[in-house]
Amino acid sequence: MISKFLLAVGLAILMAVTSVSSYVYLGSRQSNVVAPPQKPTAATPRAQAFTLPGTIYLAQSGALYSFSAGRFHQLTPEVGWTQPALYPDGSHLLAVKRSGFFSDVFVLTPYGGVTAQLTNNAASPRNAWDTGANAWSFYPRLSADQRTLWMSYDGPKYAGAGYFDVDMAVWAVPVGAPTRNGRAWTTANNYTGGDMQPVPVPSGVIYTKYTYDENGNRTGQLWFTNRAGSAGRALTSTGASCAQPALSPDGGSVAMICTYQKQVSYLTIASWNGSSLGALQTVISDQLVAQPIWAPDGSGIAYLAPGGPAAPFQLWFLPKNAYAPPPPSPVPTPSPSPGGPHNGPVPTPTPSPAPVAPVVKPIQVTTNLGFDATSPLAWLG
Amino acid sequence: MKPGHRARKSRGRLSPLTTITLVVLAVALSAVAGGFAYFLPAAATALQETGQAVAVASPSPTSILFSPSNSPSPLAVSQGAFTVLLLGSDDDSKFSSDQVLTQSMILVRVNPATKEVTMLSIPRDLYVHLSTGGSGKIDGAYSYGAAGAAIATVEQDFGVHVDDYIWVGLLGLIKVIDAIGGIDIVTSNPVMDDYYPSDIYGNSPYDYQRVAVLAGPQHLDGIHAMEYVRSRHSDLQSDYGRSKRQQQVLQAIRVKAKQLHPSDVPALATAIGGELKTSIGLDRVARLVPLAASFDNPDAIRQVLLLPPYARSGAPDGSLTPNWGLILPLVHQYFP
Repeated sequence: MISKFLLAVGLAILMAVTSVSSYVYLGSRQSNVVAPPQKPTAATPRAQAFTLPGTIYLAQSGALYSFSAGRFHQLTPEVGWTQPALYPDGSHLLAVKRSGFFSDVFVLTPYGGVTAQLTNNAASPRNAWDTGANAWSFYPRLSADQRTLWMSYDGPKYAGAGYFDVDMAVWAVPVGAPTRNGRAWTTANNYTGGDMQPVPVPSGVIYTKYTYDENGNRTGQLWFTNRAGSAGRALTSTGASCAQPALSPDGGSVAMICTYQKQVSYLTIASWNGSSLGALQTVISDQLVAQPIWAPDGSGIAYLAPGGPAAPFQLWFLPKNAYAPPPPSPVPTPSPSPGGPHNGPVPTPTPSPAPVAPVVKPIQVTTNLGFDATSPLAWLG
Repeated sequence: MKPGHRARKSRGRLSPLTTITLVVLAVALSAVAGGFAYFLPAAATALQETGQAVAVASPSPTSILFSPSNSPSPLAVSQGAFTVLLLGSDDDSKFSSDQVLTQSMILVRVNPATKEVTMLSIPRDLYVHLSTGGSGKIDGAYSYGAAGAAIATVEQDFGVHVDDYIWVGLLGLIKVIDAIGGIDIVTSNPVMDDYYPSDIYGNSPYDYQRVAVLAGPQHLDGIHAMEYVRSRHSDLQSDYGRSKRQQQVLQAIRVKAKQLHPSDVPALATAIGGELKTSIGLDRVARLVPLAASFDNPDAIRQVLLLPPYARSGAPDGSLTPNWGLILPLVHQYFP
């Protein structure tokens, strides 16, 4: 038997605790889909994550990160850094620092220290009133001899204030020289956004050109040009809508994404002979793939893709066996039996069942992060 | 002990069975109360923003009151096809709150039976007869008579019946996308704009800012999704291109919304409070949510744009002249 007074007090406390707990519990049940991404340095790769060789440089929320031996290191603060690219000798990084009105290319040490600013795209003080007097530099790359900076650049603005068309062209600028000493290699199509993501190759430069197809749809194409100012040549069709080229370490293949003018993005590879592409081979068609990059040791392709439906982008890795399976081992042929020449009919070898190649699936390397999918990856071997 | 004293003491105590019953009841009630408190703001917002009664000026001189309860909506009657007019407005400080233009007008027909959706983007610059009198760009209809005038204008000019409308302001779209954790989208090309209005978070609604939404698959937050759907300076197709991008973002929102949990609703309701109005009643919203989730086939979502020759430039004030001879058969085909 319990006293009514004690029961009343107990119930009051119990009800208060239960109602508050119920409220807090419901609040904690909010789905992960609305949770902001974690910082790479705070999130630990899943236990089953395997280690990728070398160091990958990525961007998230305006900061650059390196990823090596399963650990992330933050190289810069979150102040607009994006699009890291390696010096061919691996000694330094190029990266873009983006502000609200312009972006510039900088040289950084592998640990994130800024050593040089290669462009100066802010409007001069006397033109500061005109937003169009600023310029963007995106997707920097260095030539193999490290003397030429390749980038997409929307200056100089000859049309003057109030001109609405902003198209990027591929520029080549001597490293350390003002941008005006450089040269536009491509001529962008008007009102398309222009030419992006140049990849210097020994014979010229591969880049993404945006254009209107015959039906008026805007689409991307891989193009190649070997001379500044020349018309260049399309490597892919407008219908395939390909972009984001990446050259393999041996220079014999190109990885890219192709969207076929839909809200999809397939990882696609093709052979490259220095002037044209071979047939397109779709490698992944069930993910929203972005920014593919080849492993320096040729062991596979890393890329960014959502970790779930409509989710932020994570780091993924596709082993080489998925797109270049090893040739099947040769079927053993009957060897002559010892004991001298065989005079009878040759025995027919029993056909052995064809070996079934194991299905190689992409490996999700990170979870709960949110990489900038418009920022190419850089991978140091 | 005296007998009377024992009886008084017994009256002050309860049996174990009664005590247990009371405890269980108290726990259940307080848990429900906690849940009620959690969902109360969302319910209040939902009640406030849904089921808006709209006065639609009919082509005749009389007006009818258009509201979910009074209108025999096909959805309510037979789960048949229904048509919703989506309206998006610049609701920054350049305009008074009830006299905004609708920069985006999308007529959506949903057929639950066939799981087909048709989205027709109406160019905001289309020069039409306005339901409020006279002629002008169709984006002005809302500013002259709110949703009712916009619906009546669309109904009389396009010859369709609009069952419901949803209106969202600029800030509302940003907040919705942020509240659902962003959207995944494939941008077909870089969207570059040197003179994009800096009217959301800028100091003056007449300032400009630069926009560069780079191409390719990406995860967009609210502000960048807004830049993607709103910029039109860098598009040769101007408002047509923008309409195409708006339809992409609507589909991306739908895909993301399918991932949400009921416990996400209060945060979402808080985010969109005051930035969204709809004539759809709360009861039908509850029925539409699972319906929307059941539309899995992206190929069953038809996108229609009124490109030339359906509309041509050259009308007064930079507006577009509609070619009704082509538009009406097209509309009647998809919005019978």
